[in-house]
Amino acid sequence: MKTTGTRSLILILLTVAFAAGMLLFLADYARDGGSWAIQAFNKHITLGQNLSGRVLDRNDTVVAYSDETGRVYHDDRSVRLGLLHVVGDTRGYIATSVQNLYRAELSGYNLVTGLVSPFGETNGSDVKLTLDANACKTAYEALGGKKGAVIVYNYTTGEILCEVSAPGFDPGAPPDDLDTDETGKYEGVYLNNVLSSTYTPGSTFKVVTAAAAIEAIPDLDSRTFTCTGSTVINGNQINCTGVHGQMDFKTALANSCNVAFGELAVELGEEKMTALAEQLGFNKSFSFDGVTTAKSSYRAAGASEDELAWSGIGQYTDLANPMHMAILMSAVANGGTPVMPRFVDSVTTSFGLVTQAGTPAQGEKMLSATTAARLKTYLRYNVTNAYGDGMFPSGMQVCAKTGTAEVGEGKEPTGWIIGFCSNTETPYAFAAAVEEGSSGIGSAGAVASAVLSALAS
Amino acid sequence: MPDFQPVSESVLYVLRIVIPLLSIVVLVRAFHSIKAGRRREEPVIVLQNTVTKETVPVLYWENSIGRSRSCDIVLSDMTASRDHAVLMRRESGWYVTDTGSKAGTRVNGRMTRQPASVKPGDIMTLGSTSLMLQRTSEAKLPQQKRRVLHAASPFGLLLTVSVIQFLLLLESCFGGGEFSFLPVVPFLALQVMEWGLYLFSMKKLNRVSFELETIAFLLAGTGVMLLSGMRGKLAEGQEAPGMWAVADSTMSTVYMQLFTMLLGIVLFVFLIWFMGDLDRVTKFRPWVAGGALLLFAVNLVFATALHGASNWISIGPVTVQPSEFVKVAYVFAGAATLDRLQTRRNLTGFLLLTGACLLSLFLMKDFGTACIFFVTFLFISFMRSGSIRTIVLAVAAAVFGAFLILQFRPYVLSRFQGWRHVWEYVNESQGYQQTRVLSYGASGGLFGMGIGNGMLGGGRSGTSVFAANSDLVFGMLWEELGLVMAVVVVSALALLVFCARSDATRSRSTFYSIAACAAAGLLLFQACLNVFGVVDVLPLTGVTLPFVSAGGSSMVSVWGMLAFLKAGDERTYAARRQKKRR
Repeated sequence: MKTTGTRSLILILLTVAFAAGMLLFLADYARDGGSWAIQAFNKHITLGQNLSGRVLDRNDTVVAYSDETGRVYHDDRSVRLGLLHVVGDTRGYIATSVQNLYRAELSGYNLVTGLVSPFGETNGSDVKLTLDANACKTAYEALGGKKGAVIVYNYTTGEILCEVSAPGFDPGAPPDDLDTDETGKYEGVYLNNVLSSTYTPGSTFKVVTAAAAIEAIPDLDSRTFTCTGSTVINGNQINCTGVHGQMDFKTALANSCNVAFGELAVELGEEKMTALAEQLGFNKSFSFDGVTTAKSSYRAAGASEDELAWSGIGQYTDLANPMHMAILMSAVANGGTPVMPRFVDSVTTSFGLVTQAGTPAQGEKMLSATTAARLKTYLRYNVTNAYGDGMFPSGMQVCAKTGTAEVGEGKEPTGWIIGFCSNTETPYAFAAAVEEGSSGIGSAGAVASAVLSALAS
Repeated sequence: MPDFQPVSESVLYVLRIVIPLLSIVVLVRAFHSIKAGRRREEPVIVLQNTVTKETVPVLYWENSIGRSRSCDIVLSDMTASRDHAVLMRRESGWYVTDTGSKAGTRVNGRMTRQPASVKPGDIMTLGSTSLMLQRTSEAKLPQQKRRVLHAASPFGLLLTVSVIQFLLLLESCFGGGEFSFLPVVPFLALQVMEWGLYLFSMKKLNRVSFELETIAFLLAGTGVMLLSGMRGKLAEGQEAPGMWAVADSTMSTVYMQLFTMLLGIVLFVFLIWFMGDLDRVTKFRPWVAGGALLLFAVNLVFATALHGASNWISIGPVTVQPSEFVKVAYVFAGAATLDRLQTRRNLTGFLLLTGACLLSLFLMKDFGTACIFFVTFLFISFMRSGSIRTIVLAVAAAVFGAFLILQFRPYVLSRFQGWRHVWEYVNESQGYQQTRVLSYGASGGLFGMGIGNGMLGGGRSGTSVFAANSDLVFGMLWEELGLVMAVVVVSALALLVFCARSDATRSRSTFYSIAACAAAGLLLFQACLNVFGVVDVLPLTGVTLPFVSAGGSSMVSVWGMLAFLKAGDERTYAARRQKKRR
C-alpha cells in the first residue's frame, strides 16, 4: 500500500500542470483582458450599451456619444469626416483612433467588473481631445476631396489642434458597400495618413539639407550660388524650376533652387547628409499617446553622386511622414528640441475622477540652438520674400517651406507645406501634404492657411 | 409599475459576489472535513517476530511483506523473496496470500498458496521468519497523542450548497431582462435529488461522510442553473412561455440534464454497492473490460457522425456517447488489488484493452477523448507498476501515434494552427470559439453579467455560439457568473485529486486507491482540456467540463467516476454512523 501511496504522487504532476495552466491564463487575462473584451465582434459593445463614454473636443463639444440607438457622432458631416481618424469608427477598425485605443476606458472596462456597470447607468469614461472640431472641419473641407494629411499642433504644449486624413467615410452613416466593395474606392479609409503614411517630401526636404549645410559649412552665408536652370552631375541633368542666376544661401532656399541644393548635397557627402537626416528624425518613428508614426526615410548609402544630389532636394528614395515633419518644425521653433505632440487632453470617469491628463513632453534634441535660430530666419525669409505674409492670418509671423514632390507613375505631384508661427501668441507647428496637389503652395499652402485662419478666429 | 431594474441589478451583482465566496467556504470545509474524518495512521494489528520478539505495526488494509525495502513490512531474511506475500484485511478478517515466493508461506505450519485466513495468535512463516498476529491492545505500543479534528457537519455543508443554489435560482429567474418562474422546477428537482441522496446515505446506509457528493452537487447545480438561464430560446413558430409558466419545452435541455443526473446518481449508488465486495469485483473485471470493447464495437458499427467525430449512436430519439461509459469501465478494469499486482506484474491485458480503446477512438476521430484515455492509462499503469520505463515507452508511442495522425488526418493540424494564435483567426474555425470565450468572458469580469445575460449563450433572444453550453461552458460560467466562480468550479475538480491522493494508502484495497486516483486524474485532466482549450492555453479539443457541461452521457459518466472516489474513502464501507442512544 505504501508504494501505491508513493506512486499516487504522479497525480501531483497533473495538479501542478493544472495550476501552471491556470496561472498562465490568469496572467494573460490580467494583461490582455481589456483588449479581449473590447473586440469589435463583442455584442456587449456593438449593441451600444457598453461603448458608453463620450468623446469631446477641446471646447467640450461632444463629437461622439452613445444612446439607445447605438453610437452617435457629431451633427455636422464635415466634422464627422474631419475627426474620423482621430475619433475612430464604431467598430474600432481605425487602429490609431481614440475609439480603438481608448476602447477600454470608453467602455468602462476594468479587470474587476469587466464591462458590467453594477451600480449605475454607465461605467464608461469620457475622453477629451486636444483637437478643435472646427479646425478639423475646415481642414477636411479645404482638402476638397483630395487625399492627404493635415496636422497642426501647439509647439509649446504639444496639443494637437487639427489632425485630418483623407480619404475617409462618414462614421455616422457608413456606406453599405464599405465592407463588400472590390473596386478599391474605399482604399486607405482606415489609415490615418498623418501618422501612418509617408510621402516623397520634395523641396520641404531642403530644410534638412540646409541644416546640414549650416552645421558643416562655416562661411555658408557669404557664399554665392549660381543657377543656370540646370546642372549636370555624374552625367545626369538636374533641372531647376527656373533660372535663378547668382544668389546667396537664403535666397537659394527661398527660390527652392534645385541646382544649389543638389550641389550642396554632393559637397556635404552621403555621410554628413545621413547623419543629419537621422538627427532630425529620419529612419525612426515617434511614439505618443499610444500611437507610433510611420518612419520617414532617408537612404543615400551607396547612391551615386547624381542620386545624392536628388536626395538632397527631397526626391530619390526620400520619404517623409507628415507628423514627423511637424515635429521637426516644432524643434526649429523651440530652439532645437521639439515638444512632442499629444491628442488626449484627459480621461474622466463617469463619477468625475480624472484618470489621465496629458502633459507636455519634450522629444530628443534635433538641432543646436544656433542652427535652429538660423533655420528659423531662413524659413521666415521664405514667407516674407517668396510666399507672401498675406496668405496667412496677420500677425502669426509664419516660417515655412513648401514642396512639390514628383511621384512619377503618371500621377500629379504631391503638394507640401511645413512650417510654424514664430509669434508665440499662436505657437502652431504644422505640416500638410496633398496628393495630386499640383504646386505645394497652391494646394497644401492653401489648406494650412485655411486651418490657421480657423484657429485664429 | 416602479422601475426596479437598476436596484435589482445591483442586488443581483452583490449576490454574484456572495455565490463564489460561499462556494469557496463549502469547498474548503468539505476538504478539511475529508482530511479530518480520516482514520489516523494507527496500527489495527501488529506482527510479532517469534524469535526476536520485535513487533511490527500493520498500518494498511493491504500490506506487502518481503525482503524489498519498498514493502510495507520488511523482512530481513535472506530466504524470503523480495515480494513474498500480501497480508490483507477483508470484512471477514485477515488473510495472507503468497505472491509467488520461492520459499512459500505457511500459516501455523501449513503451506498455503490460496488466501488463507489468519487470526490473532496464528503464526505465519515466510522463509525462515515467523510472525505472530496480535491485536494492537495486546502489544505494548507507545500511545500516539490523539489529534482531534472537527469535521464539518455534512448537513450544514449540503444546506450551504442549497443556499448557493437558491441564490443561483434568483439570478436565473431575474436574468435575461425578464422575470420567469421556469428555473424553479429544475431548482426543486435538484433539491429533491440532493436531499434524497443525503437521507439515503446518511439515514438508510448510516454513512458518515457526504463531502464528495456535496461538491458534485455544487458543480452540477451551478451547471443546471446556468443552463436554465438560456430558457425561452424560441424556434420559429414557437410561442413564448408566459411569465407564470413553470415548465416549458424550451427548457428541454435542462430537464434532460436533470434526468441524466438522476441516472448518474443511480449509477453512483449501484457502483459503490457493487464494488463493496472485492471478490465480485475480481470476478467481473474481465466482463466489464469485454463489455467496454463491445460498446466501442457497437459504436463503430452504428456510429452517427456529429460535428466531425462519429462518437454517437442514436437509439430512437436519444443519442448516446458510448465512450463516456467506456471511461467508467476502463477505470474499473484498470484497477487491481495488491495481491494481483504482485502476482501479475505485466500489464499485457491492460495494454491490450488500452490499445483497443485508443484505436476505436481514432477511428471515431474523437481525439480529445483519446487523450483522456491515454492520460488515464499513464496514471493507472504507473500506479500499478511504478515503472518509469513503461511511462516513457507509452509517451514515445503516443508521440509516434500523434505523428501518424498528423500524416493521415492533416485536418487535425489545423486545430494546432490556431493554438496560441487565436486572434489571427477571429472569424475562422481555428479561433472563432476561443476568441468569443475570451472576449465575452473578459466582458463579465470577476463577477459576471448575470445568468441569462451572456452573449456566448445568446441571451434570451440571440443566437448562441456553437456548443456554448457544453464545450464552451467555462466561457458561459465566466461571462455570466464571473471569473471567480468559474475558477472555483474548476478548482473543485482539482480538489478531488487531493482527496483521492490523501486517501490512497487508507483505502481498503489498492483497487480502490488506484481507481480513485485514476478517476480523479481523469476528471481533472478532462477539465484541463476543456478549460484550457477554450481559453487558448491548449488546443481546443471539444470535451465536456465534468458535472457542469450540458450532455447526458457525460453527466452519467462523471457520477460513475465519483463512485470510484467515494469507494476510495475507507469510511464509505468501513465506518458507520453511530445510532443515537435513546
